[in-house]
Amino acid sequence: MLSVGHLILLGLAFSITVISLAGVLFLKMGKIKQLQNAVDKLKKSLDEMDEQAKLIVRTDMELNKTQEELDKKIAGLYGLQILSRAISTTLEENQIFKTIKAGHLEDLGFEKACGLLWNDKEKKFVLQLNIGYPEEEINAITSFVDKHKEAFQNLIKDEKTLSSISPDISLKERINQIFAVHAFVVSPILPKERGKGFLFVGTENTDVTITEGDEELITILGHQIGQALENARLFENTWQAHQELEKKVEERTHQLTLALEELKKVSNRKTDFVSAVSHELRTPLTSIKGYASILLTGKLGKVPEDVRERLEKINRHSDELTHLVNDLLDISRIESGRMTMKPEAQDLRNIVAGVLDLLSAQLKEKYINTQVNVAGDALTVLADASQINRVFINLIGNAIKFTPEKGKITISSHKAGDRVEVDIADNGCGIPAEAQEAIFEEFYRVDNPINQQVKGTGLGLTLVKRIIEAQGGKIWVKSKVGEGSTFSFTLPHPA
Amino acid sequence: MVQDTINVGIGLSTNKDPVVAAKEALQQARIRLHQEHINLAIVFSTVDLACAILLKTIGLSLSGVPIIGCSAAAIISHQGIFKHGLVIMLLSLPDEVYFNTACVKEIKTKTSLTAGRVLADKLLYGFHQVKRNISIIFSDGLMEEGSNLIQGLQERLGISFPLVGASASDNLTFRKTYLYFNQEIFNDAACGILFGGKLNFGLGIKHGWKPLGKPRYVTRSSGNIVHEIDNAPAIKVYEEYLACNLSELRKKLKRVSILYPIGIYLSGEEEYLLRNLLSVEDDGSLIFQGNVPCESLIRLMIGTKESCLAATQAALDDAKRGLMARQTKFVFVFDSISRYILLGRNAYKELEIIKAGLGKDTPIIGIYTYGEQAPLKSINYQGRAYFHNQTVNILGVGGFN
Repeated sequence: MLSVGHLILLGLAFSITVISLAGVLFLKMGKIKQLQNAVDKLKKSLDEMDEQAKLIVRTDMELNKTQEELDKKIAGLYGLQILSRAISTTLEENQIFKTIKAGHLEDLGFEKACGLLWNDKEKKFVLQLNIGYPEEEINAITSFVDKHKEAFQNLIKDEKTLSSISPDISLKERINQIFAVHAFVVSPILPKERGKGFLFVGTENTDVTITEGDEELITILGHQIGQALENARLFENTWQAHQELEKKVEERTHQLTLALEELKKVSNRKTDFVSAVSHELRTPLTSIKGYASILLTGKLGKVPEDVRERLEKINRHSDELTHLVNDLLDISRIESGRMTMKPEAQDLRNIVAGVLDLLSAQLKEKYINTQVNVAGDALTVLADASQINRVFINLIGNAIKFTPEKGKITISSHKAGDRVEVDIADNGCGIPAEAQEAIFEEFYRVDNPINQQVKGTGLGLTLVKRIIEAQGGKIWVKSKVGEGSTFSFTLPHPA
Repeated sequence: MVQDTINVGIGLSTNKDPVVAAKEALQQARIRLHQEHINLAIVFSTVDLACAILLKTIGLSLSGVPIIGCSAAAIISHQGIFKHGLVIMLLSLPDEVYFNTACVKEIKTKTSLTAGRVLADKLLYGFHQVKRNISIIFSDGLMEEGSNLIQGLQERLGISFPLVGASASDNLTFRKTYLYFNQEIFNDAACGILFGGKLNFGLGIKHGWKPLGKPRYVTRSSGNIVHEIDNAPAIKVYEEYLACNLSELRKKLKRVSILYPIGIYLSGEEEYLLRNLLSVEDDGSLIFQGNVPCESLIRLMIGTKESCLAATQAALDDAKRGLMARQTKFVFVFDSISRYILLGRNAYKELEIIKAGLGKDTPIIGIYTYGEQAPLKSINYQGRAYFHNQTVNILGVGGFN
């Protein structure tokens, strides 16, 4: 049996335990509350963090979308640049479409393409480019285009680019079906004149959405192709014209060569003929002149005055004829290359002085003043001694002939490169412009009063020209009617 | 003379004609192999070249050499990344290295699980007395329940047996992917190689995506379909984070799938196991590429180009560690197509990282895949192979010398 004391102690112990437990419970409750608060805070933080994560994801999504579009645009522009470069450097029309490869198209974001150009003869669009279509599909496409050619012609006429995002595009579904694509862009190809057409690009990728940027890129590509076609056609035309011209030039050159050969033959025959005739003429001429001279001496009997007059005429005309025959012979010798030139250094002062002395009587007769300006570095020329004299005699003789009384003749020389130029100027009647080239031709005589009065063979300047040219020189004349003429020629300098 | 080392010859062609491409690639590979005896050919091509004549041409040229490979959206070699092309690797193996190749067809009829078991049995044929090292599996990229195929393989090969795989891909149209086995080409199939003997390898697998937001639990799922997350329709997670409704989400699906997959938390693993969102059901259920077990702790994941490239470096470092300083004879790279899309113009940087780490002359062959299979812990042989999304798998192979 428990005593009262035991019971009191038990009750006390129980009370202490209860109080202790209550204390512990109170403390635990506080701790739980603290933990609960911490959990709530953590949960709140987690929720806040989750909200922040949502913001991050949304921002990231936008950033990625922008980045993707930017990447697509950069890749497209890069592809377009490469393609443009390839197209613009192609000058053959049938090669332009061949430069477009699947890789270029992929850079632009497409894997299928076809290009068609209008053919006026066949009255239909003809396929020029096919990327990504097997034969049976491309046949279906060309049939479709042929069936709806008005629609495509209108597209070209309106110079409009159409795509999957264009409003009011009636054939959209059919295009998607026939061209086997999910998204597409069609852009006209517009060279200035014939053979316009269109470029179609498309993709099967269902994730692709056509943007305005895609439309712009393909429009630029269409323009580039159009421009390249135009350039190629221009080049083709120019090339063909050039070819035709070359062909014509070749034909004409051939004709001229033949004519020249014929002319040479004729000229040679003429030279031979002149040479032969001249030789044949010289013998009887010598006899005629000889007999006339003997008769004039009176050794064969007294010559009546009227016969003397006629004999003197025969003698004079025989001289002129001999002179003419000699000139003709010389010309034909030079032309045929039979005349041998001995080029030697000739002192121009001596030649000019000799010739002026020879012609002093005519100069005095007409009171002609002469002036000689032979420069220090142009004193000598390389020429055949006897022939150069003939040149000066002819040219100064002509100058005297056409210079009026009290006129002036100037003979000058100067260095012109590795040559010496000699000018013989007079202030005579001058030569009309149209005759300035012809005077060097055989038997040409300028129609003027002096020529009508004074006889000449018409061979003097021809001979001079042949002599000068045979020695590697050139001769020309500058003249003005009423003011005078300057005959100039060049000869090598004996450096 | 007994061959004591692994010799490799890789050939590449971008020719559009399959016959010409096959001949070009083979010629290059043979030249690089220096006329060594050929034991095995690995063939990867883009879908435009995936045809019977390609395999016939290669088969006739190699006369009897086992051929294995698959199609891809883009192929990888040490020469670059190609959206159109064919790459062939010819292997000349020493006598101490054993291998067996096998193929399983008509997976849909058999079921993925059975197909996995059948493939494993075929691979194991003749391997009883030989030490097995690793198996490389290529499977149809459009196969549903890819995880089950792995499960079937593991049932036979062993739960912890190193298994690396790649799901074949096409040109992102998700219509047909192709498997190459000897002179034949298949859809709805899987093929593989089982290596054994004196072979050493190092595997690195990483994705680089980071968790974001608060952790959530999958409260109802079946296979790769997640019905509820935190007792609410699964779609709610994406609706909340992206501030969009079902139809808007469907429009953004491809971008969302690549940029914001879900990550399954796995204890002890450095990275979450990613699952790409494939489609959204009308009832708000989400269908992922790969199984998502019920009660999984999941997070929404976010990745950037930088994190992606950092992961490539980390995967390479793991692979090199696994090889334990042995010379790398060749490297397989199975890279997710999602990474290719995300990196865009910078995709080549992944290859540059790998080449910089292994030496520019190390033979590299690989593909962009629709899914990758690899053990979670590759180094200690104890890791169980899982179906991965968005990862880069770098498998370096070396000899014992």
